[in-house]
Amino acid sequence: MFGLKEKAWSPYLAGALIGLLQVPAFIFLGTALGASSSYVTVSASLAEFVDPGIRALSYAGKYLDGAKNWWQVALVGGIAIGAFISATLSGTRRSAPSPVWARALGTKSTAARFALAFLGGFILLFGARLADGCTSGHGISGIAQLAVSGFIAVGAMFAGGIATAMLLKPVR
Amino acid sequence: MSIIAAIGLGLVMGIAFGFLLEKSRVFEPGVIVGQMQMRNFIMLRIFLAAVASGLVVLALGQLTGIIPKLDPKATLYGAQLLGGFLAGVGITLAGACPGTILCQVGAGYRDAIVTLVGGLAGALTFAYLEPTLRPILLTGSPGKLTLHGLLGLPFWPLALVFAAVLIVALYAMERWRPWRTELGENADGVLPPAERVEEKAKTAAAPARV
Repeated sequence: MFGLKEKAWSPYLAGALIGLLQVPAFIFLGTALGASSSYVTVSASLAEFVDPGIRALSYAGKYLDGAKNWWQVALVGGIAIGAFISATLSGTRRSAPSPVWARALGTKSTAARFALAFLGGFILLFGARLADGCTSGHGISGIAQLAVSGFIAVGAMFAGGIATAMLLKPVR
Repeated sequence: MSIIAAIGLGLVMGIAFGFLLEKSRVFEPGVIVGQMQMRNFIMLRIFLAAVASGLVVLALGQLTGIIPKLDPKATLYGAQLLGGFLAGVGITLAGACPGTILCQVGAGYRDAIVTLVGGLAGALTFAYLEPTLRPILLTGSPGKLTLHGLLGLPFWPLALVFAAVLIVALYAMERWRPWRTELGENADGVLPPAERVEEKAKTAAAPARV
């Protein structure tokens, strides 16, 4: 039922196991699971090569060093490795963009998808950093701590996501 | 914790996280866009299950003293409403969340690399704009507000009650529509278009022509 070669595990089991990842995060680092601040750590570290002044910015500066920041970068990098292993075991490795895009956008153009992917990624991380968290930080961790910030941010995320999705073509 | 140990721990946890995200299929753009169009509920099932188990382990952690202190984020109404809304727009257009972008990269989706670069650019742009945005949106926080704090209760009883409500909701959801029906032939959350299903039903119903 939950073999390593299965394409899909029960969302309830997989979700519950994801929730358990809170335990090592709190025990070893005293912090909750999150993903979006690693994008600041990585992009600001790269930007520092051309703009050493970025270290002086109080926001960017606090994400450049330290165990917690690089723990999260490793966590997010590890996601790609874990996904690669799982997809390889189950034979669900992907290549071209998901067929959902041809339906949702009404075009098979890869260029259109790439442009939207860049724009979507940009807005996603800009918004997540403004809100101080993403689906992991505010969603899974915030709500599991009964944080008011988590409830507000997740409500707003679904509002923005649903409003945008209704502008696309129906996907089924 | 030394930075090397933190990176090692992060990698191990990340590999488990990525493995579970891939097995759960929540990283599939078809699942995410389907959820936002209220046609596919796999994402909500995973999300609520993760919250429920998180509530239980954090409640137990507090009760046993293994997790003495939680780490809720400060409330900032404007930033969380506007930032959350923008993030939601991005989730639909990218077909991913910040964590699942890397899951898509690992699974091989070619467009996910572009999403990743867009995400890094968006985060860097925010870092440069933060000094300008701070006086408008990022000041005046009422603090790290929590539901139990507002109600003047300890965390664990409220967390366990909330977890129980979520488990009942998930049970009802599975009774309403089993998750497997939302998976799709290629486990990507993309289901046959409605017309094709009707056509198939018609063909099946029509008497076979000789």
